[in-house]
Amino acid sequence: MLKAAHLTRRFGDRVAVDDVSFSVAAGETYGLLGPNGAGKTTTIRLVCGLLSADRGEVTVAGMPVSSSDPKAKAHIGYVPQDVSLYPDLTARENLTFFGRLYRLKGAALRQRIDEVLDLIDLKDRGDDRVESYSGGMRRRLNIGASLLHRPSLLILDEPTVGVDPQSRHAILESIRALGLEGLAVVYTTHYMEEAEKLCDRIGIIDHGHLIAEGTSRELVAQVGQKDRITMSANGSLAAFADACRSMEGIDSVDVTDSSVQLLAEDGRLRLAQVLEAASRTGTSVRSVEVDEPDLEAVFLHLTGTALRE
Amino acid sequence: MSAVLAIAVKDLRQRLRDRSAIVLGFVAPLAVAWLISMAFGSTGSFHANVAVVDLDRGPVAAGFTTFVKSPDLAKLLTVTSAATEADARAMVNKGDLGAAFVIPQGFSDAVTSGNGRPITILTSVDSSIAGQVAQSLAESYTAQIEAVQLSVKTAVASGAPAASVEKLAAEAATARIPEQTVTQASGAKALSAINYYAPAMAIFFSFFAIGFGARGFFLERSGGTLDRLAAAPIGPGTILLGKSLATFVYGMASLGTVALFTSLVFGAYWGPPLAVAALIVALALTLVGLTALVITAARTERQSEGFASILTFGLVLLGGNFVFVGEAPQLVRTLALFTPNGWALRALTDFSGGADWTAGVMPLMAILAFALGTGAVAFTLRRRVVNL
Repeated sequence: MLKAAHLTRRFGDRVAVDDVSFSVAAGETYGLLGPNGAGKTTTIRLVCGLLSADRGEVTVAGMPVSSSDPKAKAHIGYVPQDVSLYPDLTARENLTFFGRLYRLKGAALRQRIDEVLDLIDLKDRGDDRVESYSGGMRRRLNIGASLLHRPSLLILDEPTVGVDPQSRHAILESIRALGLEGLAVVYTTHYMEEAEKLCDRIGIIDHGHLIAEGTSRELVAQVGQKDRITMSANGSLAAFADACRSMEGIDSVDVTDSSVQLLAEDGRLRLAQVLEAASRTGTSVRSVEVDEPDLEAVFLHLTGTALRE
Repeated sequence: MSAVLAIAVKDLRQRLRDRSAIVLGFVAPLAVAWLISMAFGSTGSFHANVAVVDLDRGPVAAGFTTFVKSPDLAKLLTVTSAATEADARAMVNKGDLGAAFVIPQGFSDAVTSGNGRPITILTSVDSSIAGQVAQSLAESYTAQIEAVQLSVKTAVASGAPAASVEKLAAEAATARIPEQTVTQASGAKALSAINYYAPAMAIFFSFFAIGFGARGFFLERSGGTLDRLAAAPIGPGTILLGKSLATFVYGMASLGTVALFTSLVFGAYWGPPLAVAALIVALALTLVGLTALVITAARTERQSEGFASILTFGLVLLGGNFVFVGEAPQLVRTLALFTPNGWALRALTDFSGGADWTAGVMPLMAILAFALGTGAVAFTLRRRVVNL
């Protein structure tokens, strides 16, 4: 559905996006993960035709996207990072206006507006001015305005920034549902949990470069991170540690006064075996924690900085 | 086309919900036109209460009282008598009188002996016109007496018999000094204040549409809605056209409403209806061109407000919306022709003076050329609007 090839955009001497390529298939949710200022929004603006690329090309549904040719844009639903609505108009008036820009009109437009208001759970407030809405309601309407024309590609630029947990959950659920309906989704975020939960594939972007791409598991595997099992215990910890070292899949064992730390592949699968060794060596286990490597760790490994910095 | 209409309808809806746009586009020009109508509307029927304080009680003083009470001046003055100068001054200060004539004691003797003593005029700053009228009448009367005296002296010096002096004086007194010339408008009708200031204020306030339109655009940019418009399958020209259409309709509505209202309620005469309508359309197109120019020239909301203000006040000052350009020096009159409002006011002034619709042809062409020029520049720069 979307192919972005070798996208490059400079602002003066600064290269905001440098040779970024990725593709998104119908029904796939693709996450662009990176810290603030990494180049996510510029990439999105290039994809939507809001900026022209210095180099590279974007095609949507096989048609090139450009600021001068509006055809491909009819397939794109764009959700800007900030709530981009007219606060002095009602939700219905906002949706009517945006619908008309996509050549919807008459009864079909009115019916579609009802459907969208229903989808974003604002049907009862449709005739209220947006300025009277809560932040979460505005965010939902911000997304709804992009769905009116039934796009085949939905592009969301950090749609949950500044949203309360309840609204965030609702937004993520609705995006997940749209993906299941066959919509191609591009989702930018600097929240790794969102990317992990929502996205089929993730591209990690930093300083304008797409530095890694794949599923969450693939990305973790790419950087070779292991699960960490931390056990608080009493008894013969040295014997227990020796027993663990002899197990397959356990890479390292560290012992302190009252705890043992193991690095293992598929830590949860090894847990039963490890507990059996503890029992066998007379070690009394008080607590167990399994930490699986996440995208935060991947990002730290790839860039040397934490994602939230 | 439907996208252009959608943008225009949305912009107009927002503008109608903005009270300041309603006030500046409709209420303010009507209010100012009304104020001007109230201030200048009664100049054609000036009337003042005056008093004569006759401290002389001689024949020449009596002649003056008869003069100011003559039927010719009855529409202009209501004349009463006051016993003393102090009484008259008190009434003038209180506002009961616009002016008072104080004829000094010995006035008649002094005049007949050829030593004129001036009539004192009492007036106040609140009734300066009445004071000026009173001054003129007093000077006119003494000039008439001096003319009679001069005529008789000339006749005697030329050899007229002394016995006929009385008769000559009587005949000379019936002859009046010719009236002074009065400046008239070149057309068949005089230009009234409401006829000039109703359109002048309507055009002035309609220029605020430039600021509204430009500010609205930059609010779209800062609010992110411009990105939504640019992400839709429409070109930048469509966005510019839609916003221009909203400005055009707003300008038309503002100018048209004020024209109708001032004509029907204040009796202002704008000109032949079709010619005036054509001028209003041309002026509304000029607003579109200027708004588009400001949008494409400015980079920020603040910059657009600055540009719009400079344009608005520059044009109305040069074009003569605040002062009647016809009475200004040649340079100012020439500069006014570089402004669309200057041309419009020139046409409307001619209409008001009695000229027919043909007087509007040249101004209409000039205004349309201005609109076309500014619009063309803006359209050339349209990509700056969405693709920075």
